[in-house]
Amino acid sequence: MKIGVMILEGPYQHQAVDSAYYFIQAAIARGHEIVGVFLYTDGVNNINKFINPPGERNISKRLSELGESGIDIVACTACSKFRGLRPDLKVEHVRQSGLGSLAEFLRAADRFVSFGD
Amino acid sequence: MEKVLVMLRKAPYGSVYTAEAFRTIMGIAVFEMDICVVFIDDGVYSLVKDQNPKKLDMKPLGDGFPMLKEFNVNRFVVHDESLSERGLTVDDLVLDVELANSSQVSETVKNYGRVLPF
Repeated sequence: MKIGVMILEGPYQHQAVDSAYYFIQAAIARGHEIVGVFLYTDGVNNINKFINPPGERNISKRLSELGESGIDIVACTACSKFRGLRPDLKVEHVRQSGLGSLAEFLRAADRFVSFGD
Repeated sequence: MEKVLVMLRKAPYGSVYTAEAFRTIMGIAVFEMDICVVFIDDGVYSLVKDQNPKKLDMKPLGDGFPMLKEFNVNRFVVHDESLSERGLTVDDLVLDVELANSSQVSETVKNYGRVLPF
């Protein structure tokens, strides 16, 4: 099955991005395809390359690794501007783009799953 | 045409979700999708007439929804219980809506498949 994912909350404050990460891994392990991950509203904060939690899971690194494995990870450009997340602040293997990418993921997906409050 | 359901569950002010739901609807409507907007729980307040959030330094959100018809968004569903629990009726709303009970909302969600909850 083709699955699209949206994440609406930032790192550490909320479990949304962690749940999404485990969901994506489980889906892939079962042979499903992730057509894309759209980071919306505070979700864009999850790809800040300066995230550095001593002794804890590194959320932006995890997302970068998912991106490196071939999953299209997109942070909303407008939301990034609102939050001062400049393009040079993001981790590798993720990109910034507009709501058109969300529309693309919606079109390509059989199911669409959102993680947030 | 791909079917997408956008669900508004929260009050229009106090958090960014309603404003972003509106932006999402505008953003994906240009890609010619079959969009249904569902208002449930405090989300029904989004459609109340004469909103005035001036003191919050925000723009009123209710006025935008009737305009969505110009973008071919034509289906607006309101959960009837959420409306009546808040002492509201359809006369308080900025546009004509389809009233639905809980099981009809569930059926609509199932029917659309792709759901964006805000």
